[in-house]
Amino acid sequence: MDSKEILKLEYTALKLRRNILRLIRAGEAGHVGGALSSVEILTALYFNLLNIDPVNPKWKERDRFVLSAGHKCLVLYAALAERGFFDAAILDTYGALDSPIPGHPNMHKLPGIETNTGALGHGLSIAGGMALGLRLDKSPAKVYVLMGDGELAEGSNWEAASAASMHRLENLIVFVDRNKLQISGPTIEVMSYEPLDERWRSFGWGVRVIDGHNLESIISNAKQAPFEKGKPSVMIADTLKSKGLSFAEGKVSYHYWKTKPEELEQAEHDLNMIEEQLRAKMEVAGL
Amino acid sequence: MINELKDPRKTFGEAVIEAAGRNQNIVVLSADSSSGSGLGDFPKKFPDRHFEFGIMEQGVIGFASGLATTGKIPVFAAIAPFVTARPFEMFRNDLGYMNQNVKVVGRCASLTYDQLGSTHHSIDDVAIIRTIPGVTIINPGDPVTIKKAVHAMIQHTGPCYMKIGNQKMPVLYEEDVDFNLGKGIVIHDGSDVTLIGTGTVLSKTVAAAKLLEEAGVSVRLIDIHTIKPLDRDLILSAARETGRIVTVEEHFIAGGLGSAIAEICSQEYPVKMKMIGIGDLYASNGPYEELIGKYGLQPDQIKETVIKFLNNK
Repeated sequence: MDSKEILKLEYTALKLRRNILRLIRAGEAGHVGGALSSVEILTALYFNLLNIDPVNPKWKERDRFVLSAGHKCLVLYAALAERGFFDAAILDTYGALDSPIPGHPNMHKLPGIETNTGALGHGLSIAGGMALGLRLDKSPAKVYVLMGDGELAEGSNWEAASAASMHRLENLIVFVDRNKLQISGPTIEVMSYEPLDERWRSFGWGVRVIDGHNLESIISNAKQAPFEKGKPSVMIADTLKSKGLSFAEGKVSYHYWKTKPEELEQAEHDLNMIEEQLRAKMEVAGL
Repeated sequence: MINELKDPRKTFGEAVIEAAGRNQNIVVLSADSSSGSGLGDFPKKFPDRHFEFGIMEQGVIGFASGLATTGKIPVFAAIAPFVTARPFEMFRNDLGYMNQNVKVVGRCASLTYDQLGSTHHSIDDVAIIRTIPGVTIINPGDPVTIKKAVHAMIQHTGPCYMKIGNQKMPVLYEEDVDFNLGKGIVIHDGSDVTLIGTGTVLSKTVAAAKLLEEAGVSVRLIDIHTIKPLDRDLILSAARETGRIVTVEEHFIAGGLGSAIAEICSQEYPVKMKMIGIGDLYASNGPYEELIGKYGLQPDQIKETVIKFLNNK
Protein backbone atom coordinates (compact mmCIF):
# COMPACT_ATOMS: atom_id res chain seq x y z
CA MET A 1 0.00 0.00 0.00
CA ASP A 2 1.11 3.57 -0.76
CA SER A 3 2.87 5.03 2.30
CA LYS A 4 0.97 8.30 1.92
CA GLU A 5 -2.31 6.43 2.16
CA ILE A 6 -1.07 4.72 5.29
CA LEU A 7 -0.09 8.07 6.81
CA LYS A 8 -3.55 9.42 6.06
CA LEU A 9 -5.08 6.39 7.73
CA GLU A 10 -2.83 6.87 10.73
CA TYR A 11 -4.19 10.38 10.98
CA THR A 12 -7.72 8.98 10.82
CA ALA A 13 -6.81 6.58 13.63
CA LEU A 14 -5.76 9.59 15.68
CA LYS A 15 -9.15 11.19 14.97
CA LEU A 16 -10.83 8.04 16.24
CA ARG A 17 -8.77 8.25 19.43
CA ARG A 18 -9.86 11.87 19.79
CA ASN A 19 -13.47 10.78 19.31
CA ILE A 20 -13.03 8.16 22.02
CA LEU A 21 -11.70 10.85 24.33
CA ARG A 22 -14.67 13.02 23.42
CA LEU A 23 -17.04 10.17 24.33
CA ILE A 24 -15.31 9.49 27.60
CA ARG A 25 -15.39 13.18 28.51
CA ALA A 26 -19.16 13.15 28.01
CA GLY A 27 -19.77 9.91 29.89
CA GLU A 28 -17.03 10.39 32.51
CA ALA A 29 -16.41 6.63 32.33
CA GLY A 30 -16.28 3.83 29.81
CA HIS A 31 -14.56 0.74 28.46
CA VAL A 32 -11.63 2.62 27.04
CA GLY A 33 -8.84 0.00 27.12
CA GLY A 34 -10.22 -2.34 24.49
CA ALA A 35 -11.59 0.53 22.41
CA LEU A 36 -8.14 2.10 22.12
CA SER A 37 -6.41 -1.20 21.42
CA SER A 38 -8.65 -1.79 18.41
CA VAL A 39 -8.53 1.68 16.88
CA GLU A 40 -6.29 0.64 14.00
CA ILE A 41 -8.48 -2.39 13.23
CA LEU A 42 -11.60 -0.21 13.08
CA THR A 43 -9.75 2.41 11.04
CA ALA A 44 -8.71 -0.24 8.52
CA LEU A 45 -12.27 -1.55 8.37
CA TYR A 46 -14.25 1.67 8.10
CA PHE A 47 -11.77 3.62 5.96
CA ASN A 48 -10.47 0.91 3.68
CA LEU A 49 -11.81 -2.63 3.90
CA LEU A 50 -15.59 -2.35 4.33
CA ASN A 51 -17.69 -1.87 1.22
CA ILE A 52 -20.34 0.35 2.82
CA ASP A 53 -22.36 3.47 2.11
CA PRO A 54 -23.12 5.80 5.04
CA VAL A 55 -25.93 7.37 2.99
CA ASN A 56 -27.53 3.97 2.45
CA PRO A 57 -26.60 2.03 5.59
CA LYS A 58 -29.01 -0.85 4.85
CA TRP A 59 -27.69 -1.38 1.30
CA LYS A 60 -28.20 -5.10 0.67
CA GLU A 61 -24.79 -5.78 -0.84
CA ARG A 62 -22.83 -4.07 1.94
CA ASP A 63 -20.11 -5.75 3.92
CA ARG A 64 -21.12 -6.34 7.55
CA PHE A 65 -19.16 -5.58 10.67
CA VAL A 66 -20.10 -7.33 13.90
CA LEU A 67 -18.60 -5.99 17.11
CA SER A 68 -18.75 -9.18 19.12
CA ALA A 69 -16.95 -7.56 22.05
CA GLY A 70 -19.75 -5.01 22.44
CA HIS A 71 -18.05 -3.23 25.32
CA LYS A 72 -15.54 -1.86 22.80
CA CYS A 73 -18.41 0.27 21.44
CA LEU A 74 -16.57 3.56 21.96
CA VAL A 75 -14.34 2.76 19.00
CA LEU A 76 -17.35 1.77 16.90
CA TYR A 77 -19.14 5.04 17.66
CA ALA A 78 -15.90 6.91 17.00
CA ALA A 79 -15.52 5.24 13.59
CA LEU A 80 -19.16 5.52 12.53
CA ALA A 81 -19.25 9.23 13.37
CA GLU A 82 -15.99 9.84 11.51
CA ARG A 83 -17.24 7.87 8.50
CA GLY A 84 -20.39 10.00 8.38
CA PHE A 85 -23.06 7.55 9.56
CA PHE A 86 -24.29 10.13 12.05
CA ASP A 87 -23.56 13.60 13.37
CA ALA A 88 -20.48 13.64 15.59
CA ALA A 89 -22.41 15.79 18.11
CA ILE A 90 -24.10 12.53 19.15
CA LEU A 91 -20.76 11.54 20.71
CA ASP A 92 -21.36 14.21 23.35
CA THR A 93 -24.47 12.41 24.59
CA TYR A 94 -22.56 9.37 25.86
CA GLY A 95 -23.86 8.46 29.30
CA ALA A 96 -26.98 10.65 29.06
CA LEU A 97 -30.51 9.35 29.54
CA ASP A 98 -31.86 7.86 26.27
CA SER A 99 -28.61 8.53 24.45
CA PRO A 100 -28.51 6.73 21.09
CA ILE A 101 -25.06 5.46 22.05
CA PRO A 102 -25.47 3.19 25.07
CA GLY A 103 -22.62 1.43 26.85
CA HIS A 104 -23.16 -1.49 24.49
CA PRO A 105 -24.43 -0.89 20.95
CA ASN A 106 -28.10 -0.95 19.96
CA MET A 107 -28.83 -1.34 16.23
CA HIS A 108 -32.30 0.15 16.63
CA LYS A 109 -30.92 3.48 17.82
CA LEU A 110 -28.42 4.44 15.12
CA PRO A 111 -27.65 3.68 11.47
CA GLY A 112 -24.58 1.60 10.72
CA ILE A 113 -24.80 -0.69 13.74
CA GLU A 114 -25.44 -4.24 12.57
CA THR A 115 -26.01 -6.12 15.84
CA ASN A 116 -26.92 -5.71 19.49
CA THR A 117 -23.95 -7.06 21.34
CA GLY A 118 -22.62 -6.70 24.86
CA ALA A 119 -23.08 -10.15 26.31
CA LEU A 120 -19.89 -11.87 25.17
CA GLY A 121 -19.79 -14.90 22.92
CA HIS A 122 -22.73 -13.95 20.69
CA GLY A 123 -21.17 -12.10 17.76
CA LEU A 124 -19.43 -14.94 15.97
CA SER A 125 -22.62 -17.00 15.66
CA ILE A 126 -24.60 -14.04 14.40
CA ALA A 127 -21.86 -13.17 11.93
CA GLY A 128 -21.78 -16.80 10.79
CA GLY A 129 -25.51 -16.62 10.07
CA MET A 130 -24.99 -13.42 8.09
CA ALA A 131 -22.22 -15.07 6.08
CA LEU A 132 -24.45 -18.09 5.36
CA GLY A 133 -27.34 -15.87 4.29
CA LEU A 134 -25.15 -13.73 2.03
CA ARG A 135 -23.65 -16.82 0.43
CA LEU A 136 -27.13 -18.21 -0.16
CA ASP A 137 -27.94 -14.97 -2.00
CA LYS A 138 -24.68 -15.29 -3.97
CA SER A 139 -23.68 -11.89 -2.59
CA PRO A 140 -20.02 -10.89 -2.81
CA ALA A 141 -20.32 -9.19 0.60
CA LYS A 142 -18.03 -10.18 3.44
CA VAL A 143 -18.69 -10.34 7.16
CA TYR A 144 -16.02 -8.99 9.50
CA VAL A 145 -16.01 -9.58 13.25
CA LEU A 146 -14.01 -8.08 16.10
CA MET A 147 -13.61 -10.25 19.18
CA GLY A 148 -11.74 -9.67 22.40
CA ASP A 149 -9.18 -12.16 23.64
CA GLY A 150 -10.79 -12.42 27.09
CA GLU A 151 -14.09 -13.08 25.31
CA LEU A 152 -12.72 -16.30 23.87
CA ALA A 153 -13.36 -18.08 27.18
CA GLU A 154 -17.08 -18.10 26.32
CA GLY A 155 -17.76 -21.61 25.03
CA SER A 156 -20.38 -20.40 22.56
CA ASN A 157 -17.55 -18.92 20.46
CA TRP A 158 -16.18 -22.37 19.85
CA GLU A 159 -19.58 -23.68 18.81
CA ALA A 160 -19.63 -20.88 16.27
CA ALA A 161 -16.02 -21.46 15.20
CA SER A 162 -16.76 -25.13 14.50
CA ALA A 163 -19.92 -24.34 12.56
CA ALA A 164 -18.25 -21.62 10.47
CA SER A 165 -15.57 -24.10 9.49
CA MET A 166 -18.04 -26.94 8.85
CA HIS A 167 -20.06 -24.65 6.59
CA ARG A 168 -16.89 -23.44 4.84
CA LEU A 169 -17.64 -19.76 5.38
CA GLU A 170 -14.92 -18.17 3.25
CA ASN A 171 -16.70 -14.82 3.50
CA LEU A 172 -16.22 -14.63 7.28
CA ILE A 173 -13.18 -12.72 8.54
CA VAL A 174 -12.42 -12.35 12.23
CA PHE A 175 -10.05 -10.08 14.11
CA VAL A 176 -9.11 -11.06 17.65
CA ASP A 177 -7.91 -7.99 19.52
CA ARG A 178 -5.21 -9.76 21.55
CA ASN A 179 -4.44 -6.98 24.01
CA LYS A 180 -3.67 -9.70 26.57
CA LEU A 181 -5.56 -8.12 29.46
CA GLN A 182 -9.01 -8.54 30.93
CA ILE A 183 -10.74 -7.22 34.05
CA SER A 184 -9.05 -9.59 36.49
CA GLY A 185 -5.58 -9.49 34.99
CA PRO A 186 -3.48 -10.93 32.16
CA THR A 187 -5.59 -13.17 29.92
CA ILE A 188 -3.07 -16.00 30.07
CA GLU A 189 -3.47 -16.05 33.86
CA VAL A 190 -7.26 -15.65 33.98
CA MET A 191 -8.06 -18.30 31.36
CA SER A 192 -5.38 -19.01 28.85
CA TYR A 193 -6.34 -19.93 25.32
CA GLU A 194 -2.76 -20.04 24.07
CA PRO A 195 -1.46 -21.09 21.69
CA LEU A 196 -4.31 -19.16 20.14
CA ASP A 197 -3.20 -19.61 16.53
CA GLU A 198 -3.06 -23.38 16.93
CA ARG A 199 -6.40 -23.41 18.65
CA TRP A 200 -8.13 -21.60 15.77
CA ARG A 201 -6.25 -23.70 13.21
CA SER A 202 -7.44 -26.88 14.89
CA PHE A 203 -11.00 -25.57 14.61
CA GLY A 204 -10.56 -25.44 10.84
CA TRP A 205 -9.73 -21.79 10.27
CA GLY A 206 -7.10 -20.05 8.19
CA VAL A 207 -4.98 -18.15 10.73
CA ARG A 208 -2.53 -15.26 10.67
CA VAL A 209 -0.89 -13.45 13.54
CA ILE A 210 -0.51 -9.75 12.79
CA ASP A 211 0.52 -6.48 14.41
CA GLY A 212 -2.83 -4.97 15.34
CA HIS A 213 -1.49 -1.42 15.34
CA ASN A 214 0.11 -1.63 11.89
CA LEU A 215 -2.46 -0.43 9.40
CA GLU A 216 -0.56 -1.70 6.40
CA SER A 217 -0.32 -5.16 7.91
CA ILE A 218 -3.99 -5.22 8.93
CA ILE A 219 -5.19 -4.17 5.49
CA SER A 220 -2.85 -6.26 3.35
CA ASN A 221 -3.56 -9.39 5.39
CA ALA A 222 -7.32 -8.84 5.49
CA LYS A 223 -7.36 -8.37 1.71
CA GLN A 224 -5.78 -11.79 1.27
CA ALA A 225 -8.67 -13.53 3.04
CA PRO A 226 -9.69 -16.29 2.70
CA PHE A 227 -6.26 -17.42 3.79
CA GLU A 228 -7.08 -21.01 2.91
CA LYS A 229 -9.58 -22.27 0.38
CA GLY A 230 -12.92 -23.21 1.89
CA LYS A 231 -12.09 -21.88 5.34
CA PRO A 232 -13.08 -18.86 7.39
CA SER A 233 -10.19 -16.57 8.31
CA VAL A 234 -8.96 -15.17 11.60
CA MET A 235 -6.30 -12.57 12.27
CA ILE A 236 -4.92 -12.64 15.78
CA ALA A 237 -3.99 -9.01 16.15
CA ASP A 238 -1.39 -8.31 18.81
CA THR A 239 -2.22 -4.99 20.43
CA LEU A 240 -1.56 -2.85 23.45
CA LYS A 241 -4.48 -2.13 25.75
CA SER A 242 -5.33 1.59 26.05
CA LYS A 243 -2.89 2.33 23.19
CA GLY A 244 -2.16 6.05 22.94
CA LEU A 245 -2.64 7.08 26.56
CA SER A 246 0.75 7.10 28.29
CA PHE A 247 -0.63 6.63 31.79
CA ALA A 248 -2.99 3.79 30.85
CA GLU A 249 -1.18 1.69 28.25
CA GLY A 250 -0.92 -1.96 29.28
CA LYS A 251 -2.62 -1.34 32.62
CA VAL A 252 -5.51 -3.57 33.57
CA SER A 253 -7.17 -0.84 35.65
CA TYR A 254 -8.03 1.09 32.47
CA HIS A 255 -10.23 -1.68 31.07
CA TYR A 256 -13.00 0.55 32.37
CA TRP A 257 -11.79 4.09 32.95
CA LYS A 258 -13.46 6.38 35.47
CA THR A 259 -11.89 9.64 34.45
CA LYS A 260 -10.10 12.12 36.68
CA PRO A 261 -9.58 15.71 35.43
CA GLU A 262 -5.78 15.44 35.48
CA GLU A 263 -5.95 12.19 33.48
CA LEU A 264 -8.14 13.80 30.87
CA GLU A 265 -5.60 16.61 30.60
CA GLN A 266 -2.79 14.09 30.21
CA ALA A 267 -4.79 12.16 27.60
CA GLU A 268 -5.28 15.34 25.58
CA HIS A 269 -1.57 16.04 25.82
CA ASP A 270 -0.70 12.47 24.71
CA LEU A 271 -2.90 12.73 21.64
CA ASN A 272 -1.43 16.15 20.83
CA MET A 273 2.02 14.59 20.92
CA ILE A 274 0.91 11.86 18.52
CA GLU A 275 -0.54 14.54 16.26
CA GLU A 276 2.71 16.49 16.29
CA GLN A 277 4.73 13.43 15.28
CA LEU A 278 2.24 12.49 12.59
CA ARG A 279 2.16 16.00 11.14
CA ALA A 280 5.94 16.02 10.91
CA LYS A 281 5.87 12.73 9.00
CA MET A 282 3.10 13.99 6.75
CA GLU A 283 5.03 17.15 5.98
CA VAL A 284 8.03 15.09 4.90
CA ALA A 285 5.72 13.04 2.72
CA GLY A 286 4.31 16.21 1.19
CA LEU A 287 0.85 15.83 2.67
CA MET B 1 -61.59 -35.72 11.04
CA ILE B 2 -62.62 -34.80 14.59
CA ASN B 3 -60.96 -36.97 17.28
CA GLU B 4 -58.58 -38.55 14.77
CA LEU B 5 -55.17 -38.93 16.42
CA LYS B 6 -52.29 -37.24 14.63
CA ASP B 7 -48.56 -36.90 15.28
CA PRO B 8 -47.83 -33.26 16.20
CA ARG B 9 -44.25 -33.38 14.92
CA LYS B 10 -45.24 -34.86 11.57
CA THR B 11 -48.03 -32.31 11.27
CA PHE B 12 -45.62 -29.49 12.09
CA GLY B 13 -42.96 -30.71 9.65
CA GLU B 14 -45.43 -31.10 6.78
CA ALA B 15 -46.70 -27.57 7.36
CA VAL B 16 -43.16 -26.13 7.31
CA ILE B 17 -42.35 -28.00 4.08
CA GLU B 18 -45.59 -26.76 2.55
CA ALA B 19 -44.78 -23.17 3.55
CA ALA B 20 -41.20 -23.50 2.28
CA GLY B 21 -42.51 -24.56 -1.12
CA ARG B 22 -44.23 -21.20 -1.37
CA ASN B 23 -41.70 -19.00 0.40
CA GLN B 24 -38.10 -19.19 -0.81
CA ASN B 25 -36.85 -17.31 2.24
CA ILE B 26 -37.67 -20.10 4.67
CA VAL B 27 -34.55 -21.92 5.85
CA VAL B 28 -34.38 -24.67 8.46
CA LEU B 29 -31.64 -24.96 11.06
CA SER B 30 -30.99 -28.20 12.85
CA ALA B 31 -29.13 -28.96 16.06
CA ASP B 32 -29.11 -32.64 15.19
CA SER B 33 -32.84 -32.14 15.57
CA SER B 34 -34.59 -31.83 12.20
CA SER B 35 -35.36 -35.50 11.75
CA GLY B 36 -36.84 -35.68 15.25
CA SER B 37 -38.91 -32.59 14.60
CA GLY B 38 -40.85 -33.92 11.63
CA LEU B 39 -38.46 -32.17 9.25
CA GLY B 40 -36.63 -35.24 7.99
CA ASP B 41 -37.85 -34.58 4.44
CA PHE B 42 -36.89 -30.90 4.44
CA PRO B 43 -33.22 -31.41 3.45
CA LYS B 44 -34.33 -33.80 0.71
CA LYS B 45 -36.72 -31.25 -0.76
CA PHE B 46 -34.67 -28.12 -0.09
CA PRO B 47 -31.02 -29.18 0.33
CA ASP B 48 -29.67 -25.63 -0.04
CA ARG B 49 -31.98 -24.29 2.63
CA HIS B 50 -31.27 -26.78 5.38
CA PHE B 51 -28.31 -26.19 7.69
CA GLU B 52 -27.10 -28.85 10.09
CA PHE B 53 -25.09 -27.70 13.11
CA GLY B 54 -24.96 -30.63 15.46
CA ILE B 55 -25.85 -30.28 19.10
CA MET B 56 -25.10 -26.59 19.70
CA GLU B 57 -28.37 -24.82 20.40
CA GLN B 58 -26.78 -21.58 21.67
CA GLY B 59 -24.84 -21.16 18.47
CA VAL B 60 -27.80 -22.08 16.29
CA ILE B 61 -29.88 -19.26 17.76
CA GLY B 62 -27.08 -16.83 16.84
CA PHE B 63 -26.76 -18.23 13.33
CA ALA B 64 -30.54 -17.95 12.95
CA SER B 65 -30.36 -14.31 13.99
CA GLY B 66 -27.63 -13.61 11.45
CA LEU B 67 -29.52 -15.39 8.67
CA ALA B 68 -32.60 -13.33 9.48
CA THR B 69 -30.63 -10.10 9.04
CA THR B 70 -30.22 -11.10 5.38
CA GLY B 71 -33.97 -11.55 4.87
CA LYS B 72 -34.21 -15.27 5.50
CA ILE B 73 -36.93 -16.74 7.72
CA PRO B 74 -35.11 -19.30 9.86
CA VAL B 75 -37.10 -22.10 11.47
CA PHE B 76 -35.28 -23.89 14.28
CA ALA B 77 -36.95 -26.84 15.95
CA ALA B 78 -35.51 -29.03 18.68
CA ILE B 79 -36.41 -30.47 22.08
CA ALA B 80 -38.13 -27.64 23.94
CA PRO B 81 -35.80 -27.02 26.93
CA PHE B 82 -32.80 -26.94 24.62
CA VAL B 83 -34.18 -24.06 22.54
CA THR B 84 -35.47 -22.04 25.50
CA ALA B 85 -33.83 -22.55 28.88
CA ARG B 86 -30.40 -23.49 27.55
CA PRO B 87 -29.90 -20.65 25.03
CA PHE B 88 -32.06 -18.16 26.92
CA GLU B 89 -29.60 -15.28 26.64
CA MET B 90 -29.19 -15.89 22.91
CA PHE B 91 -32.97 -15.96 22.54
CA ARG B 92 -33.31 -12.73 24.50
CA ASN B 93 -30.46 -10.77 22.89
CA ASP B 94 -30.05 -12.19 19.38
CA LEU B 95 -33.73 -12.75 18.60
CA GLY B 96 -35.72 -10.58 21.02
CA TYR B 97 -33.52 -7.52 21.49
CA MET B 98 -32.42 -7.61 17.84
CA ASN B 99 -36.07 -8.22 16.83
CA GLN B 100 -35.18 -10.86 14.27
CA ASN B 101 -37.70 -12.77 12.21
CA VAL B 102 -36.79 -16.20 13.54
CA LYS B 103 -39.19 -19.03 14.38
CA VAL B 104 -38.08 -21.22 17.27
CA VAL B 105 -40.07 -24.37 17.86
CA GLY B 106 -39.82 -26.41 21.04
CA ARG B 107 -41.05 -29.92 20.38
CA CYS B 108 -41.76 -32.74 22.81
CA ALA B 109 -42.60 -29.82 25.09
CA SER B 110 -44.17 -29.69 28.53
CA LEU B 111 -44.26 -33.21 30.06
CA THR B 112 -44.61 -35.04 26.76
CA TYR B 113 -41.08 -36.44 27.01
CA ASP B 114 -42.72 -38.20 29.95
CA GLN B 115 -40.29 -40.84 31.18
CA LEU B 116 -37.16 -38.95 30.13
CA GLY B 117 -37.29 -36.88 33.28
CA SER B 118 -36.91 -33.26 34.28
CA THR B 119 -33.93 -32.42 32.07
CA HIS B 120 -36.16 -33.10 29.08
CA HIS B 121 -39.39 -31.64 30.39
CA SER B 122 -40.20 -28.08 29.46
CA ILE B 123 -42.63 -26.66 31.95
CA ASP B 124 -40.86 -23.31 32.33
CA ASP B 125 -40.53 -22.28 28.66
CA VAL B 126 -43.58 -20.01 28.55
CA ALA B 127 -42.54 -18.38 31.82
CA ILE B 128 -39.07 -17.46 30.67
CA ILE B 129 -39.73 -16.63 27.00
CA ARG B 130 -42.72 -14.51 28.06
CA THR B 131 -40.28 -12.07 29.69
CA ILE B 132 -38.70 -11.24 26.32
CA PRO B 133 -40.40 -8.19 24.78
CA GLY B 134 -41.74 -8.66 21.28
CA VAL B 135 -41.70 -12.46 21.15
CA THR B 136 -44.94 -14.13 20.07
CA ILE B 137 -45.65 -17.38 21.99
CA ILE B 138 -47.89 -19.94 20.34
CA ASN B 139 -49.12 -23.13 22.01
CA PRO B 140 -51.59 -24.81 19.65
CA GLY B 141 -53.78 -27.56 21.09
CA ASP B 142 -54.59 -29.80 18.14
CA PRO B 143 -53.19 -30.87 14.75
CA VAL B 144 -55.40 -28.48 12.77
CA THR B 145 -54.24 -25.46 14.73
CA ILE B 146 -50.60 -26.64 14.69
CA LYS B 147 -50.72 -26.46 10.91
CA LYS B 148 -52.47 -23.10 10.95
CA ALA B 149 -50.05 -21.80 13.57
CA VAL B 150 -47.07 -22.66 11.35
CA HIS B 151 -48.47 -20.64 8.46
CA ALA B 152 -49.50 -17.76 10.74
CA MET B 153 -46.06 -17.73 12.36
CA ILE B 154 -44.34 -17.58 8.96
CA GLN B 155 -46.59 -14.74 7.84
CA HIS B 156 -45.98 -12.82 11.04
CA THR B 157 -42.82 -10.71 10.99
CA GLY B 158 -40.90 -10.99 14.25
CA PRO B 159 -39.49 -13.56 16.65
CA CYS B 160 -41.81 -16.42 17.59
CA TYR B 161 -41.69 -19.33 19.98
CA MET B 162 -44.07 -22.20 19.28
CA LYS B 163 -44.37 -25.34 21.37
CA ILE B 164 -45.72 -28.72 20.36
CA GLY B 165 -45.92 -32.07 22.10
CA ASN B 166 -44.77 -35.57 21.39
CA GLN B 167 -47.68 -37.99 21.69
CA LYS B 168 -50.36 -38.20 19.03
CA MET B 169 -53.13 -35.74 19.74
CA PRO B 170 -56.80 -35.68 18.76
CA VAL B 171 -58.17 -33.34 16.12
CA LEU B 172 -60.44 -30.87 17.92
CA TYR B 173 -61.25 -28.44 15.14
CA GLU B 174 -62.68 -28.54 11.65
CA GLU B 175 -60.22 -27.57 8.94
CA ASP B 176 -61.97 -24.23 8.38
CA VAL B 177 -61.62 -23.02 11.98
CA ASP B 178 -60.75 -19.35 12.15
CA PHE B 179 -57.19 -19.09 13.53
CA ASN B 180 -55.58 -15.74 14.18
CA LEU B 181 -52.44 -15.06 16.23
CA GLY B 182 -53.34 -13.22 19.42
CA LYS B 183 -57.02 -14.20 19.28
CA GLY B 184 -58.39 -16.92 21.51
CA ILE B 185 -61.05 -19.33 20.28
CA VAL B 186 -64.31 -19.63 22.21
CA ILE B 187 -65.09 -23.31 21.75
CA HIS B 188 -68.45 -22.95 23.43
CA ASP B 189 -70.22 -20.36 25.49
CA GLY B 190 -71.33 -20.64 29.09
CA SER B 191 -72.01 -18.52 32.15
CA ASP B 192 -70.99 -20.27 35.41
CA VAL B 193 -67.25 -20.41 34.87
CA THR B 194 -64.65 -19.81 32.16
CA LEU B 195 -62.33 -22.74 31.53
CA ILE B 196 -59.21 -21.82 29.59
CA GLY B 197 -56.92 -24.45 28.13
CA THR B 198 -53.81 -24.38 25.99
CA GLY B 199 -51.48 -26.67 24.09
CA THR B 200 -51.08 -30.33 24.89
CA VAL B 201 -53.80 -30.34 27.55
CA LEU B 202 -56.41 -28.49 25.51
CA SER B 203 -58.04 -31.82 24.65
CA LYS B 204 -58.18 -32.69 28.37
CA THR B 205 -59.78 -29.31 29.05
CA VAL B 206 -62.35 -29.90 26.31
CA ALA B 207 -63.18 -33.29 27.81
CA ALA B 208 -63.41 -31.79 31.30
CA ALA B 209 -65.81 -29.12 30.03
CA LYS B 210 -68.02 -31.85 28.63
CA LEU B 211 -68.07 -33.61 32.01
CA LEU B 212 -68.93 -30.33 33.72
CA GLU B 213 -71.77 -29.62 31.31
CA GLU B 214 -73.10 -33.11 31.99
CA ALA B 215 -72.98 -32.25 35.70
CA GLY B 216 -75.04 -29.14 35.04
CA VAL B 217 -72.28 -26.53 35.05
CA SER B 218 -72.43 -23.96 32.26
CA VAL B 219 -68.86 -23.62 31.02
CA ARG B 220 -67.37 -21.00 28.75
CA LEU B 221 -64.55 -22.93 27.12
CA ILE B 222 -61.68 -20.97 25.59
CA ASP B 223 -58.57 -22.09 23.72
CA ILE B 224 -55.72 -19.64 24.24
CA HIS B 225 -53.29 -20.81 21.56
CA THR B 226 -51.38 -17.52 21.58
CA ILE B 227 -50.08 -16.90 25.07
CA LYS B 228 -48.31 -13.72 24.00
CA PRO B 229 -49.74 -11.35 22.96
CA LEU B 230 -52.68 -12.42 25.06
CA ASP B 231 -56.27 -11.82 23.92
CA ARG B 232 -57.02 -9.38 26.74
CA ASP B 233 -60.48 -8.39 25.47
CA LEU B 234 -61.63 -12.01 25.37
CA ILE B 235 -60.26 -12.65 28.85
CA LEU B 236 -61.74 -9.51 30.38
CA SER B 237 -65.15 -10.19 28.88
CA ALA B 238 -64.99 -13.74 30.27
CA ALA B 239 -64.06 -12.32 33.68
CA ARG B 240 -66.94 -9.84 33.57
CA GLU B 241 -69.52 -12.25 32.22
CA THR B 242 -68.73 -15.48 34.12
CA GLY B 243 -67.02 -14.11 37.25
CA ARG B 244 -64.68 -17.09 37.63
CA ILE B 245 -61.74 -18.34 35.62
CA VAL B 246 -59.96 -21.68 35.70
CA THR B 247 -56.78 -22.13 33.66
CA VAL B 248 -55.37 -25.49 32.60
CA GLU B 249 -51.80 -25.88 31.39
CA GLU B 250 -49.04 -28.47 31.27
CA HIS B 251 -46.59 -25.94 32.67
CA PHE B 252 -45.50 -24.49 35.98
CA ILE B 253 -48.24 -22.47 37.63
CA ALA B 254 -45.49 -19.89 38.11
CA GLY B 255 -45.20 -17.72 35.04
CA GLY B 256 -47.45 -19.62 32.65
CA LEU B 257 -50.80 -18.96 31.03
CA GLY B 258 -52.61 -18.69 34.37
CA SER B 259 -50.09 -16.11 35.58
CA ALA B 260 -50.40 -14.13 32.36
CA ILE B 261 -54.20 -14.06 32.70
CA ALA B 262 -53.96 -13.12 36.38
CA GLU B 263 -51.68 -10.22 35.47
CA ILE B 264 -54.52 -8.79 33.39
CA CYS B 265 -57.51 -9.68 35.57
CA SER B 266 -55.98 -8.73 38.92
CA GLN B 267 -55.37 -5.23 37.64
CA GLU B 268 -58.35 -4.63 35.41
CA TYR B 269 -61.21 -6.83 36.61
CA PRO B 270 -60.33 -9.00 39.61
CA VAL B 271 -62.18 -12.31 39.70
CA LYS B 272 -61.59 -15.55 41.54
CA MET B 273 -59.17 -17.77 39.68
CA LYS B 274 -57.94 -21.32 39.91
CA MET B 275 -54.77 -22.30 38.10
CA ILE B 276 -54.31 -25.95 37.27
CA GLY B 277 -50.71 -26.78 36.44
CA ILE B 278 -47.52 -27.94 38.04
CA GLY B 279 -46.33 -26.58 41.37
CA ASP B 280 -42.88 -25.70 42.59
CA LEU B 281 -41.23 -29.07 41.98
CA TYR B 282 -39.32 -31.16 39.45
CA ALA B 283 -41.92 -33.29 37.72
CA SER B 284 -41.65 -37.02 37.99
CA ASN B 285 -41.32 -39.52 35.16
CA GLY B 286 -43.48 -42.27 33.74
CA PRO B 287 -46.12 -43.02 31.09
CA TYR B 288 -47.60 -39.74 29.83
CA GLU B 289 -51.23 -40.26 30.81
CA GLU B 290 -50.23 -41.37 34.31
CA LEU B 291 -47.71 -38.56 34.64
CA ILE B 292 -50.13 -35.75 33.84
CA GLY B 293 -52.63 -37.47 36.14
CA LYS B 294 -50.09 -37.02 38.93
CA TYR B 295 -50.52 -33.28 38.46
CA GLY B 296 -54.30 -33.22 38.18
CA LEU B 297 -54.46 -32.69 34.42
CA GLN B 298 -56.83 -35.52 33.45
CA PRO B 299 -60.42 -34.53 32.53
CA ASP B 300 -62.10 -36.03 35.62
CA GLN B 301 -59.51 -34.36 37.85
CA ILE B 302 -59.99 -31.00 36.14
CA LYS B 303 -63.75 -31.43 36.55
CA GLU B 304 -63.40 -32.14 40.29
CA THR B 305 -61.08 -29.17 40.77
CA VAL B 306 -63.55 -26.88 39.01
CA ILE B 307 -66.51 -28.13 41.03
CA LYS B 308 -64.61 -27.70 44.29
CA PHE B 309 -63.60 -24.21 43.17
CA LEU B 310 -67.20 -23.29 42.32
CA ASN B 311 -68.48 -24.65 45.62
CA ASN B 312 -65.93 -22.63 47.56
CA LYS B 313 -67.94 -19.38 47.51
